[in-house]
Amino acid sequence: MRHAPIPHRRKVLLLGLGAVALVLLGAGAGAALLLSGAYSTAATKQHFAITYRVLETGLRYSLESNAEEIEVPDLSRVAKIEVGHACYRRYCVQCHGAPGVARDPIGRGQLPSPSRLEQSAREWPPSHLFYVTQKGVRMTGMPAWEYRISQEGLWSTVAFLKRMPFMTQAEYAAMGARSDDIACPAPSGGHPYSVERARTMFQQYSCHNCHRIDGVVGPETYIGPALHEWPARAYIAGVVPNTRANLARWIADPQVFSPTTLMPDMDVVDEHAQHMARYLFEQQ
Amino acid sequence: MNALSVARLRTMSIALSAWSALLGACGEQRDYRPQVRGGDAQRGQIALLRHDCGVCHAIPGIIGAHGRVGPSLASYGRFPHLAGKFPNDPELLVRWLTDAPSMAVATAMPALDLDEQEARDMAAYLYSLE
Amino acid sequence: MAAATMQSALAGAPGSAAEAIGRLGDLLYVGAGAIFLFVMALAIYSVFAKPRAVNVRRWIVGGGLVFPIVVLTALLVYSLRTGDALSHSAAASGSSESEPLRIRVVGKQWWWEVRYVGHAQGTEIVLANEVRLPVGRPVELLLTSTDVIHSFWVPALAGKVDMIPGRTTRVALRADETGIFRGQCAEYCGGQHALMALYVVAQSQSDFESWLARQARPAQRPDDSFLKLGYDAFFKGNCQACHAIRGTPAAGTLGPDLTHVGGRHSLAAGVLDNHIGTMAGWIAGTQDVKPGSKMPSTRTFTGIELRAISAWLGSLQ
Repeated sequence: MRHAPIPHRRKVLLLGLGAVALVLLGAGAGAALLLSGAYSTAATKQHFAITYRVLETGLRYSLESNAEEIEVPDLSRVAKIEVGHACYRRYCVQCHGAPGVARDPIGRGQLPSPSRLEQSAREWPPSHLFYVTQKGVRMTGMPAWEYRISQEGLWSTVAFLKRMPFMTQAEYAAMGARSDDIACPAPSGGHPYSVERARTMFQQYSCHNCHRIDGVVGPETYIGPALHEWPARAYIAGVVPNTRANLARWIADPQVFSPTTLMPDMDVVDEHAQHMARYLFEQQ
Repeated sequence: MNALSVARLRTMSIALSAWSALLGACGEQRDYRPQVRGGDAQRGQIALLRHDCGVCHAIPGIIGAHGRVGPSLASYGRFPHLAGKFPNDPELLVRWLTDAPSMAVATAMPALDLDEQEARDMAAYLYSLE
Repeated sequence: MAAATMQSALAGAPGSAAEAIGRLGDLLYVGAGAIFLFVMALAIYSVFAKPRAVNVRRWIVGGGLVFPIVVLTALLVYSLRTGDALSHSAAASGSSESEPLRIRVVGKQWWWEVRYVGHAQGTEIVLANEVRLPVGRPVELLLTSTDVIHSFWVPALAGKVDMIPGRTTRVALRADETGIFRGQCAEYCGGQHALMALYVVAQSQSDFESWLARQARPAQRPDDSFLKLGYDAFFKGNCQACHAIRGTPAAGTLGPDLTHVGGRHSLAAGVLDNHIGTMAGWIAGTQDVKPGSKMPSTRTFTGIELRAISAWLGSLQ
């Protein structure tokens, strides 16, 4: 039996319905994958090779675009290799290792695995190294160091990274002996207050792992009190009046007001504590 | 029925059956729920109202409890900590309710004139808050 | 402290005006109900009964004139006598005892200032948010206000009487049995009108006398170190700007007198129970309990200071 030719309008409608059905099918398949628990989150299970390539490529292209605006200063003037080494020893060697030095167990069980930096430090431009160190890489074990190391310290670390691939085991060890009493510098502040930065700070100091905070995405946590509607509170931790000055001091050093509090001292830099206190007080 | 509509129906029915199977697998499970020995949550609710605990604390289910001097007690059953210093253990909570300053000398929460049974009942109500 | 009886005009205290009004009301309900039933019964009868001749004139004159005149006249006499008994002049002439006890109550946004005449000539004892009466004795409250119109109403004792700025109105109270009665403001007076309540406590004559004597005594600087911390916190927090505590330098008049605040049945004008917890919560969170109240929330005390001042004020019995 021959059908009559389908009119144009009908074709468009059928195509549209077909597209919607396809989208729903895709969404259903995605939901099925998520809710069935079939996707394994184990770090012992390898990626598919293609997945790995895609993620690597995505990182490189993202860096190309995002690190573009970074102006690299004259490293010979601004950066000190010894300071960079001190930072590397304090924060990086545990996951990345060093010439002749194996990474600690913390760096051995990760997926993706922290790279050995001999190759990338040689091949990547300083701006890319700086960007990754400063901002971290999401959904990997690479933290952001922007709120833990000063700008000078970060550039010093980059300068060190640029030298590191050319060091022998003995040179690296000798540098360690020399920089033993140098501390990796903490951020000195001097940034103006902004709501965005304050939110990032809460996340970078992992406040949101214990406290629910407006504007910061995080787990539904009940470990500490929620920080919503902060200005209305009468007390901080039930012991001191809730003022901006007291709050900044509390954030920077909780044990001063309450020696047995379970809130840990997160080594919060004073300016960051003030910005976070301001954020909480300017919430409605 | 033409071939196209049959195919569409088949697709939809597969999607629907998969979806409904998955919905059954939803939902969080909580293994640990604190239990207060000898405490009755309903009596506790009345006790919290009678003692005006809401003057300092916001407590769901208690009329007029919207104080902001102390922390909100919403979802108290899920708090891992008591007063930011102790594990949220039922016996510690009962002690805290009657004599907080003996456990934390600088706290703003006073020692209250509650008998042990009232404190147990109040604790039972607080732990029932999800 | 014992719980108050239900705040209801239907729960009139023995010997009180509310009881007399209640009796009158009961008479009206029962009487009117009976008459209604009787009339309805007649109507139904007249519809269903076999028609027969009736003396129409007797029914109209008897049922429509004589019966109402008799009943209503009796009711009028009874209600006039009840009303007379409620008025203040009757209180003075009624009993063989002395003059009624006169207490001044001043309505303020949103609390009650209460003034008793002291034993010594010309002295006044000032308290707040609670009125105590001796049982069996007529009491007259002299009511006024310093800001807007309030209305004094303790349903279990008497009807509502407005408190009008610039005028003095009066209400007669009397209770023949001990008890605690809750009352509240019955004329809209601003944002916290709904939270302007008080307790009236009827005590035996001897209990009342000893209570009044205690109220006349000033407070003393405490010896206990923790209470002393509270005493000092009171002045650190500048509470004396509004509150008076006789026996200390605090002599403010904008807020309630706190000389014996610890012995009151309630805080915040009948809103909160009175114990150390509510005292602390009221001081630190005033604006959360009564938003718009003229007392600000005090947010300058450390945790220890807050407990100390609450303990000290609670000790002022």
